[in-house]
This record gives sequence, C-alpha cells and structure tokens, in this order.
Amino acid sequence: MAAAVASHCCSERWAVSDLIQLLLNGLSTGAVYALFALGYTLVFSVLGVINFAHGAVFTLGAYFTFLLIGGAVGANGLLAGFQLPFALPFWLALLLAGVGAAAVALLIERTAFRPLRERGADPLLALITSLGAGVVLVNLIQLLVGAESYAIPTTALAGLPAAIRLFGAQVRTVQLVLLGVATVLLVALSLWIDGSRSGKALRAVAEDATTAQLLGIPSGRMIQIAFGLSGFLAGIAGGLVGLSVSIAGPYFGIGYGLKGLGVLVLGGLGSVPGAVLGGLIIGLAEACVPAELSGYRDVVAYGFLFVVLLLRPQGLLGKVLPTKV
Amino acid sequence: MKRRLILLLTSLIAGTGVLSACGRGDQTAAGPVDLKGGVPVGAVLALSGNANVYGQDQRVGLNLALAALNGSGGINGTPLRLAIEDSGSDDPGANAAMTLQINRGMLAVIGPTLSQQAFAADPIAQRRGLPVVAPSNTATGIPEIGHFISRVSASSGVIAPLSIAKALQLQPGIKRAAVFFAQDDAYSTAETAVFQKALADKGLRPVTVQRTNLADNDFQSQISATLALKPDLIVLSLQGVDGGNMVRQLRELGYKGTIVVGNGMNTPNIYPICQKYCDGILIAQAYSPELATPANRAFVQAFTRAQAAAGKGPLIPPQLTAQAYTALQVVGQALQRLDQRTPLKGLSVAAARKALMDEILGGTYQTPLGEIRFTPEGEVIQKDFFVAQVRMNPDGRSGRFALLQ
Repeated sequence: MAAAVASHCCSERWAVSDLIQLLLNGLSTGAVYALFALGYTLVFSVLGVINFAHGAVFTLGAYFTFLLIGGAVGANGLLAGFQLPFALPFWLALLLAGVGAAAVALLIERTAFRPLRERGADPLLALITSLGAGVVLVNLIQLLVGAESYAIPTTALAGLPAAIRLFGAQVRTVQLVLLGVATVLLVALSLWIDGSRSGKALRAVAEDATTAQLLGIPSGRMIQIAFGLSGFLAGIAGGLVGLSVSIAGPYFGIGYGLKGLGVLVLGGLGSVPGAVLGGLIIGLAEACVPAELSGYRDVVAYGFLFVVLLLRPQGLLGKVLPTKV
Repeated sequence: MKRRLILLLTSLIAGTGVLSACGRGDQTAAGPVDLKGGVPVGAVLALSGNANVYGQDQRVGLNLALAALNGSGGINGTPLRLAIEDSGSDDPGANAAMTLQINRGMLAVIGPTLSQQAFAADPIAQRRGLPVVAPSNTATGIPEIGHFISRVSASSGVIAPLSIAKALQLQPGIKRAAVFFAQDDAYSTAETAVFQKALADKGLRPVTVQRTNLADNDFQSQISATLALKPDLIVLSLQGVDGGNMVRQLRELGYKGTIVVGNGMNTPNIYPICQKYCDGILIAQAYSPELATPANRAFVQAFTRAQAAAGKGPLIPPQLTAQAYTALQVVGQALQRLDQRTPLKGLSVAAARKALMDEILGGTYQTPLGEIRFTPEGEVIQKDFFVAQVRMNPDGRSGRFALLQ
C-alpha cells in the first residue's frame, strides 16, 4: 500500500489540476485536524494532560450552530420540535457557537479538572474525569435532541455556488471556506501566543506553572484561558464540519477526536506549530491515498504516525524533556 | 499472609458469581415461562451509536405493534410484555443485549438492528435455542445461521436488483456504472455483491468500485477520481449518514447522472443530510405506505395517530418502522396460536421457545408489508416489492419516497 500511495502522489502522469485537487483535498481535511489538535494542545501545554471531553465540545459546537441558524430539533429527544424564536445568519451563529462551546469547556475545567488539581491529585486522573465529562455531554445531547442526523442547510453560504473550479480542479466551496477559516484562526492564535502579553504568560505557564505563579502570572486564570480558547476552536471546527458533512448524531466528534489525538502526537505533545504541521501532514497523507484504496486511508495516516514515532518519539516538533532526578 | 487470604477468598467469591451468572441462563430455560406482567418478548435495537436512527424508527414500530396486539386481547387474554434493550451499534453491545434477553427468559427476540450485529449475536441465540425474528437484516446468510433465526426483511439479493432494472428502464442509455460500498459493514459488502451481479447481468461492468468506511463522511477525493471516469450511473451500498453525505457531495461536485442506493438509505433520516440533493435517487423497497391492504391501512393510521399525538406531524411511516411492526406482529400471532394449542403456563421456557419457532415458521401473516410466510430455513417469502424515487419538497429538508410504477 505504501508503494501505491507513493506512486499515486509522485506520478509523472499528474496534470496540474490533479495536483491542485489533491492539495486542496488534503489541506482542507488537514486544516480541520489541525484546529481540532490545537484544542488538545492548548490544554496539554498548560496541564500536561489530554482533555478527552474535547470531542464532545466539538460536537456541541455543531449543534449550537445548527440551533442558532434556526434549526428545529427532530422527533426523538426531550426537546422534540424545539426551535429558537430567531434565526441568525450562519457566520454569526458560528461565532456564537464558538463562544458557547468555550463556556462549556470552562465548565469542564471547573468540574473535571480543577477539583483534582486543587487536591494535588495525579494529573493522569484528569484523563478519566475528562473522559467521563465527554461521555456525559454526548449522552446529554442524545437525551435532549435525539440521535438523528442534522444538517446545516446548504443555503447557509448564501450566494456562493456549491462548488467552484480552480485551475481545472473541482472543489466544494464549503471545503475552501473551511480551509480559509481554519487558516485565519491558526494564524491569529499563533500571533496571539507569540506576540501578546497574555500569550507569553500562557507559554510561561506551559513551561513551568509553579515558577510562572511565583513570577506573578495567575496560572489558574491562564489555564481557564487555555480551556476557553480550546473550546472556542472546537466549537468553530464543529460548526464548520457540520456545514460540510452534516452532524451525524451525538457521536460524530469521536472520529475527529481520535484523529486529533494522532495529529497531536505526530506534531509533538504541547507544540502549537506541531499541531498545525501534524494536521496538514495527516490530511495530505490521506489525500495521497489512491481513490480505490480510500477505505484504508486511516491505515496510511496512522502508519505514518507509527513510523515517525519510531524515528522521533517526541513527535515532529516536540521537545525531548530532560529526565528529572 | 492475611492479605493474600482475603484476596484468595475475594477471587473465589467473584469466580463463583461469574460462573453462577453464566449458568443462570440455562436454569431459566429449564424453568417455567414467567408470565408475571405478561408474555415476555425481547428486542435488541441499536438505540445509540451511529446506527441509532434505524433503532429509533424500529422502536416506534414495535410500540405500535405492541399497542395493537394488547389492544386486541394480547396473547389470548394475557398481555404481551416487551423488553427493549439497547445494543449500541456494535457487535459486543449486540452480544451483551442478546445474552441478557436470553437470561431473562424471553420467548423470542426481535433484532438486532444491523446485519453486522446479527452475525455476532444470532449464533448465541441459536446455541441457546431462542427464536430470533430479524426486522432489518438484509445481508446474505442471516437465516442460514441456524434453525432459530428468521427474518421479515427480505434479502438484498431479492430487492436490490429491482432498482438497477428500474434505473436502466428509465435511462436505457446508461453505459458506465460506478459502485461505492462500505467495506467494514456486512450489509454493505453483501449488498454491493448483489448490485454488481445485477449490473453484470445487464452487461454493465463497473468503471470503478470504491471502498469506504462507515465512519467516513468526506468523500471529495474518491468522488473527484470517480467523476473523472465519467459514470452515468452510481450505485451506493452505504448506510444513512455516510450515504447521505455521499449523495450530497456527488451532486455538489457536479454529478448529474442517476444514483441508485441500497437499503441502508431506506429511511427519511437521509433527508436532512443530502437535503435538496436527495431528489431523484432510486431505491428498491420492501414496504410501501401506499400498499392498499387492510393491514397496511391500519398500520399507517396507527402511525399517523401516534405521531400526531406526540406532536410530530403527519409523517409517512418508514420501511424500518413497518418491518419492526411486522416482526412483533409475527411473534404475537405465533404466540397466540401456540398458546391456544399448548398453554404457555404449563411449558418450560426452552420448550416454549422451541414450539414458538415452529409456529413462527408455519404461519401466514397479513402484515403492512403484504402477505408474508417463511421458508423452513426462516427466510421471508414476500410478494410485494417496490421501487421508489425520492422527491424532496421545496424546503429541501423534507420529502417522500414516491412509488414508481
């Protein structure tokens, strides 16, 4: 299979349009993975643990977007038939969904992480509490709005065609929108982390929370900011993916969650540029799989991850931490 | 030392508990039928996980059939007691739910929802002598699992070719077919084999056969490659969510030819996913709401009434709901005949299960699906099949399966 993938991506028979098609397919998928992995990374960098409820927050973002644009709940949940009395334009709904998801992420921090942290529990225990929070959220979604699929109407991108032709490649407009929004968010986040005072404070906490606290940086507040941002990114990603491929029930964040974990590890745990790079690499690797073998594209993605970790256990851009004695 | 002793004792107690739990099912089978609260019948449905939309349609059908049966006297005066267990959407969940129903002393089980789950859980029922009536398993080989396994859902081998024939009748110029199927799903792999044989029988060799996975929802790469081959017929053996996304993305990327879909998309739950792009897809069905028989009219009325009472509007019953209704109707009527012949009260669970299986296979039933019977192997014999075309309403969110003559 590796040979098939390599020959598919490196074939001399490729037309420019084929190459552009492959690049756009890979980048738009990879951008979602990167957005997702960034959420994991932000929390991991300040707490050293993975927030397993992140997938559920992503799912919530999609449902929030759906409801805010005036979507009606289906027939199977406690809220059957419920519809907000207003319908917002898609972009405003997406933004508010991001804010809503950020609020939920803060709630998760408050209930599943902070109590353990305050009692000095092993940080690994937070893996389990976050997993529990994720399961509760997903089941709550199912209880309230049922398990049926929901879709953000194709008319959400009013005025834009369903697909456009770029240098001979036919691309769904929603994929380009996804790529564009993800790029803007990734650049904005990088600029904030590198250039702002609060971004630097976050990095200081990530480096060493105790020292940062001694230097007057409010570690607790920075952890909250990391959770809020992580939730915001997850909410936006959920809404965008919901627009692209519909909301396939309360469990649809699980697949993205697993892929996001892979991206996180590939890029290097806790590395923001690593999350972006890992996402794009996995997205492109999947796009390189020949169409007839697409059913095995996860094998390629995770196989690639496996090889990289054998050669570079800290991930592509991760740091080797010195052993403490 | 003391700690070791406690550990040993705890292990012994736990081990004894596990062993006794394992043996409890067989004790239940040897004991009398528990008629407290009604005649026990179970169901194993996918009410959570990615196949939950099917299970929820089925639960509606079971509840309607239960109300109809108990409203007309139950099993000769004793109500039927239905216990529904959620199997999730995977094999271990189905195994656990099936085992639970067996150990509870159920006389029959309706389910599991997916063929994939049936291949895992039905052998357990077969070994323990529990009659299973599958309401929605269409993969080849389900009744062949054993004597106690039957189904009211006609095999994809019978239904699927009808939609190919209809597509070629509507568009005789079709020359280039492309096929997609979910490689990790028993139903999809079984159905695509049928579709591909039907295409071959019509002299069409697929220009490409694309494999997907159930959890996939972004098909841009595969569609780009497929459309480059200029197909004029695309045949999908996918489930509702992935299939709905595939249809939408095919149309968005400019495919204008005919789309034939399989039984996995035989649910109105695809409408919100492919939206206006669902319009025009062809599908063969084992149920038509327009079938003018007394049994179907009664079912449609009951369904519409229940939906209206729940404030859910005048919906058209989906096939899965009709098949689940039929499955419980079959079990209920077989129980009535058995109880008249040999009162359930005097039978052991094992004897009642064995006799019930014989009754199920021996009967003829007037159901919403039309008249049905069973082969000695448990395969349904159904007379009426249909080909429908999806017609979406102008809102792009609702529609119907319009029967093609």
